[in-house]
Amino acid sequence: MATELTLSVNGAKHVVSVAPETPLLFVLRNELKLTGPRLGCGLAQCGACAVLVDGMEVRSCISPVSEAVGKRVTTIEGLPAVWAEEKSLNPAEAAKTLHPVQQAWIDEQVPQCGYCQSGMMIAAVQLLAKNANPTVAEIKDAFTNTPPSPHLCRCGTYAAIIDAVQRAAQAMKA
Amino acid sequence: MTPKAEKSSDSTVTMTLTRRGFVKIGGALFVSLAIPAGFSAEGIASPTSLGTKQLDPTLLASWLEIRDDNTILARTGRTETGTGMSAYYAQTIAEELNVRPETITLILGDTDKTPDGGYSAGFLSGMTNVRKVSAYTYQALLGLAGTQLGVPVSGLTVTDGIVTGGGKSVTYGQLVQGQHLDLKIPVTGTLAKPAPSEWVGVAGMDGLTVTGDPPMKPVNQFKVIGTSYPVPGIPDKVIGKTQWSCDVTLPGMLHARMVRPATLGSKLVSVGALDKKKFPTSEIVKKGNLVAVVSPNEWEAIGAARSVASGTKWTDWSGLPGSENLTKALRAHKWTAKPELKGKPAAEVTVALTKAAKKVSASYEQPYTRHAPIGPFVAVADVRSDGSVTVWTHSSQSQGLRARLAHMASTPVEKVVVRWLEHSGQYGRTTLGGDGAEADAVILSQLTGKPVRVQWTLQEDIAWSSVSPGWVADMKGGLDANGRLIAVHSAFYSPYMFDPRPLGALLAGMPCNTSEPAGWIATEWPYDKIPNRVEVGYGMANLGAESVSGGLRGNIMRTPGQRQQNFALEGLINEAAVSASADPLQFRINHTTEQRLIDILNATAKAAGWKARPSPHPQARKTGTDPVTGRGVCIMLRSNAYWVGIAEVAVVPETGTVQVTKFTIGADCGKVINPRQLDRCMKSGVVMGLSEALKEEVTFDKSKVTSTNWSRYKILTMEETPEIRVVQISRDDKGFGGGSEAANAVCPPAVTAAFFDATGVHARRIPLTPAYVTALLKG
Repeated sequence: MATELTLSVNGAKHVVSVAPETPLLFVLRNELKLTGPRLGCGLAQCGACAVLVDGMEVRSCISPVSEAVGKRVTTIEGLPAVWAEEKSLNPAEAAKTLHPVQQAWIDEQVPQCGYCQSGMMIAAVQLLAKNANPTVAEIKDAFTNTPPSPHLCRCGTYAAIIDAVQRAAQAMKA
Repeated sequence: MTPKAEKSSDSTVTMTLTRRGFVKIGGALFVSLAIPAGFSAEGIASPTSLGTKQLDPTLLASWLEIRDDNTILARTGRTETGTGMSAYYAQTIAEELNVRPETITLILGDTDKTPDGGYSAGFLSGMTNVRKVSAYTYQALLGLAGTQLGVPVSGLTVTDGIVTGGGKSVTYGQLVQGQHLDLKIPVTGTLAKPAPSEWVGVAGMDGLTVTGDPPMKPVNQFKVIGTSYPVPGIPDKVIGKTQWSCDVTLPGMLHARMVRPATLGSKLVSVGALDKKKFPTSEIVKKGNLVAVVSPNEWEAIGAARSVASGTKWTDWSGLPGSENLTKALRAHKWTAKPELKGKPAAEVTVALTKAAKKVSASYEQPYTRHAPIGPFVAVADVRSDGSVTVWTHSSQSQGLRARLAHMASTPVEKVVVRWLEHSGQYGRTTLGGDGAEADAVILSQLTGKPVRVQWTLQEDIAWSSVSPGWVADMKGGLDANGRLIAVHSAFYSPYMFDPRPLGALLAGMPCNTSEPAGWIATEWPYDKIPNRVEVGYGMANLGAESVSGGLRGNIMRTPGQRQQNFALEGLINEAAVSASADPLQFRINHTTEQRLIDILNATAKAAGWKARPSPHPQARKTGTDPVTGRGVCIMLRSNAYWVGIAEVAVVPETGTVQVTKFTIGADCGKVINPRQLDRCMKSGVVMGLSEALKEEVTFDKSKVTSTNWSRYKILTMEETPEIRVVQISRDDKGFGGGSEAANAVCPPAVTAAFFDATGVHARRIPLTPAYVTALLKG
């Protein structure tokens, strides 16, 4: 049965009326029109739907929306604001500044089809929060062995992702 | 005023310029079609009003609009498939018009907003179209500028859209301000239309071709082509602004989830009950063996479909051999369907083989594999009571899909509009304008009278979408006393790979083409110094073809046919080099006079640190718990491009694990359009190719596909991706070649050669899974 739930997504409060077991992904996409996270496997096996919940990566395709109540949900649409807050950017600066991970994804021309890349950027943000200067081996490990599953890219952009994570790491230290 | 266009060799090109007077649309310059450039699904008031729109391809405005703010809108029926083609189209147009590529906006793929149709995979033909249109336009603009500035055309130069001559200058925007330029574009060919009895069921898949021979910029004067211009769509993808095909919502739209049959050949017995208390807004929709549940609420549709599926009854069927028996089944087949033959008559080659001093023969096997995108198929259809059909899709063949859907829905092709949006990669599965969720969506919209969005699940997609068929190849080679190959006989056996029929049409029993199998030779032959060669390709129908679903529908996948045939051919070349005790790289050079191939072989070898010696490695070993290492090479000639792959592997014989530790890939694809994107495409192609070499296999039992999620259909992970080195050779005098496709195909033969180098045992089957490798090494 539909229930009213209050969500905090990308810094804004939203009241939605949905069945509490609805996966967060469908609420973000269909109710809040945040289409950054996308449906891949629906089984937490690929990472295309990844979002941050209180700074930790969550596979929104299997995670009930009720579990996100009272927590901070961040999609790629909200990453610039996360960075602006971290760096205390004034509104004018914030408006023209992307999160360094996003900027690196553009500068390194990472996406091919791009379908998995929203989840890849979420994974990168989480990795860089824990490890400011990851080696290639650490990046590979994080994108492959962090539960619940590897982040998969069928176009095969892994080399570009590694380049972009390292570029973002440099930018974030600056 | 009516100035003549600059003389071109095609006399049909004429240009007139008239005062526009009656149309003043903010100074927009060429004829405006009043179709919005952008697209907002929410904002579509009446899709049906566009239903009969078809651009006139002979009008310049159907291809290019130059606006008075010096921006350019360009249209092509081709799409972006993730390989950067939108950048290359912009670069091509910018080059011929002498403008900056960032001033160009592209409209791709929409059947009612683009003129030419054609295969998105055929970038080179699509590029030729926009290049010629741009060249014609450039000549027209020069003529206008000459008149306006009072300077002969020969005295004009153009930089960034500013024409300069006689000390004066004028922008393109100023030239055309408030005027209407009619430039006739000469075209030939037809757009796709239903042809159910013809190959793949659609005629005109090549779309329209711009003809004539306008003066085009010489390669050595290129300023934009050859630079790493960024792909235009990337920023929006990164910040979450792209509208993907899965994002389309329409007023009153229903979400659908399909209830698929229990097996590939099952027929519906009875549909399970729908609990309206639990799923109050859901409805069951069915036609023939096509069953779906629809609801305005996506999550409710998912739950209701699961519930209905659990109670739905299907007949039994078992018409597949089982994937573990694939080779046996292919061997048992009587191969009567029209074989294709390339090379000399087989009898001549057989005679040459009997005269050989040394003979090498081997059989190679490849399993079924699949495209397996991260995003499953999705489509939205809006079928109206007047018979008009609008479909939102990411199919890479919009016009072909349009024709196929028109045939299926028994509606004139003119009443169907296909709108293209970005989505997950296709890797060839929609190249022939089929497969996909579009047929489901059209049928369900027809039945419900509402717009319907059909989202396949991953399990559904990798069980029911089309597949890349398995292969068996029998190869024979003969060497002379000096270790030179004098004859090669290749025989390839595979189920057909040109069946793009949509599952929805088949299950619903809607009009559809039939699939007529035939053999196919896809190789391009690089070894011109081998005097006797024949290749014979044998085809058969899909496995389970007689079933209601068409069985395992074979379809083309990245580097189709040539990928599989090259695995066997290059495998034989490597085995022949072993037989001749020759370095396998030098052995290839010895059998070709193609200098481009020799150059890229040498350059790639240098980058890989290749040291000449025969295989296997002196320390090769097939037992033990310590790893053994090896290296291997292979090549491919494809679409005016020369490719080399060099793999380095580490094998642990005891456990059968094979790790690719380094891969060096080289390509000479003529003039490189965009070096960074080529680098990206080469590296990502290697990831896909290594995935195929090491991991991928579609498994099936006697009735259905069993590799139905990512833990059963395994693909390469980031951790398994080796260091990849890239070598590019760009040439100004060899035209353009295919710059992406062969990258995946040069991996499996290089990996199996490296495996032999490490272990001394030939692996003639992929994938090199631990189970296969341990059995092979113990065998």
